[in-house]
Amino acid sequence: MSQGYRAVGWNPQKKTYDRVLGLGLLLYLGLFVGVGFALHPTATAETLLLRGLGTSAFLLLHGILCIGPLARLDRRFLPLLYNRRHLGVSMFLLALVHSVFALIQFHALGDQNPLVSLFVGNTRFDSLAHFPFQPLGAAALAILFLMAATSHDFWLANLSAPVWKALHMLVYLAYALLVMHVGLGILQAETSPLWAGLVLAGLALVLGLHLVAGWRERGLDRELAPGDAGLVDVCAIDEIPEGRARVATISGERVAVFREGLTVTAVSSLCQHQNGPLGEGRILDGLITCPWHGYQYDPCSGRSPAPFTERVPTFRVVLRSGRVLVDPTPSPAGTEQVPACAEQPQ
Amino acid sequence: MYASLVNLGLAGLGIYAVLGLAFAVAFAVRGAQAIDPAAEQGTWGFRVLIVPGAAALWPLLLLRWVRGDGEPPEERGAHRDGARGGGA
Ligand code: HEM
Ligand code: FES
Repeated sequence: MSQGYRAVGWNPQKKTYDRVLGLGLLLYLGLFVGVGFALHPTATAETLLLRGLGTSAFLLLHGILCIGPLARLDRRFLPLLYNRRHLGVSMFLLALVHSVFALIQFHALGDQNPLVSLFVGNTRFDSLAHFPFQPLGAAALAILFLMAATSHDFWLANLSAPVWKALHMLVYLAYALLVMHVGLGILQAETSPLWAGLVLAGLALVLGLHLVAGWRERGLDRELAPGDAGLVDVCAIDEIPEGRARVATISGERVAVFREGLTVTAVSSLCQHQNGPLGEGRILDGLITCPWHGYQYDPCSGRSPAPFTERVPTFRVVLRSGRVLVDPTPSPAGTEQVPACAEQPQ
Repeated sequence: MYASLVNLGLAGLGIYAVLGLAFAVAFAVRGAQAIDPAAEQGTWGFRVLIVPGAAALWPLLLLRWVRGDGEPPEERGAHRDGARGGGA
């Protein structure tokens, strides 16, 4: 964006999103503690809150992990993706309070430093039924902290999108650690198979959605080789829907080939914001619009309209007998290309 | 053995965090705009929000600040590197 950073770029949509999120979480915590007391009148409020906070964070994490593949499978989920960052930060805060509660409740009463006690209090690494599940939660919390702490656009710009994205891919490691934290914790605290079943169902959902979304994109990353005159034959011009793109892997990454009316243009498909898939976006008001957070680029130059400064690499396109041919050599980000024009309406 | 490793690790982490926090305050006030001109106009809310991240990534940011980078790094990737004529 490069427009002078603010704390939070709130707009009406994000405000609604955050209100729904905040109310939902309060409702969940209230219900969890209320129903918990009704079912287990002897339970303490601390225990119920500890569990309510832990489960709300864990549930939210499932939502966060499912939004990506869901939005790829069905565009109606894209609005959820728009403000996923606030889901992530809220999840971290819930998990943080859960962890601090656990530290106070289970590790602050002795004369040992609570953090030391967290790691040395239980060292039965050889037992599944008594495995020290709490350090697993701490490791996950460390990852969630790194992600929440680097969630501002300042970090995106200063780490650059690919590095930022790699860092945020650690969420899958955090999720694996948490499945073990929760699974092993339940093994120790609960006798009912219901909870273990729920954790497994959540895992199946997350894995299943990722596999289905990945399956749908199979083949897309196969590199297309150049043919005659060193140009890559991507598709026929009428295979590209109006205002949308056809995606092909050329020169090591995905290229988005857009058509608007009779003109065809090609840009590198990675949005400069969070490397979202430009090729899944559409042309709005003459500008390629990223499906994730709406950053826009001129289809010919790959430049965001002033005052924004984002730029993506562009490619030369040639039309020949109704086929779309792309020069595989990327031009530097922001290079103006002459758009290819089909001669007559077909 | 395990307990002393834990103690050592936590002490190391503690020192890293204290140095990081001290750095992060200075970075939020002065350093951010030294490595990214867009932070010049940054609000106070923005500066508070980048403190935790600066405390975590302080060695990298310190290096850029001292080196006088002045600009965020350019994004890398097959297309961008290819277009620059360098890289992979
Ligand atoms: C220092 C870090 C952490 C510590 C010390 C910790 C500690 C605990 C403890 C003691 C329990 C058992 C509660 C009980 O059975 O009453 C528990 C359960 C749980 N924790 Fe954590 N935790 C940590 C991090 C996390 C994180 C980051 C999450 C993230 C989502 C999380 C999610 C959960 C969940 C979902 C449960 C199951 C709740 C239940 O037993 O009903 N924990 N944790
Ligand atoms: S990834 Fe955020 S707008 Fe493209």
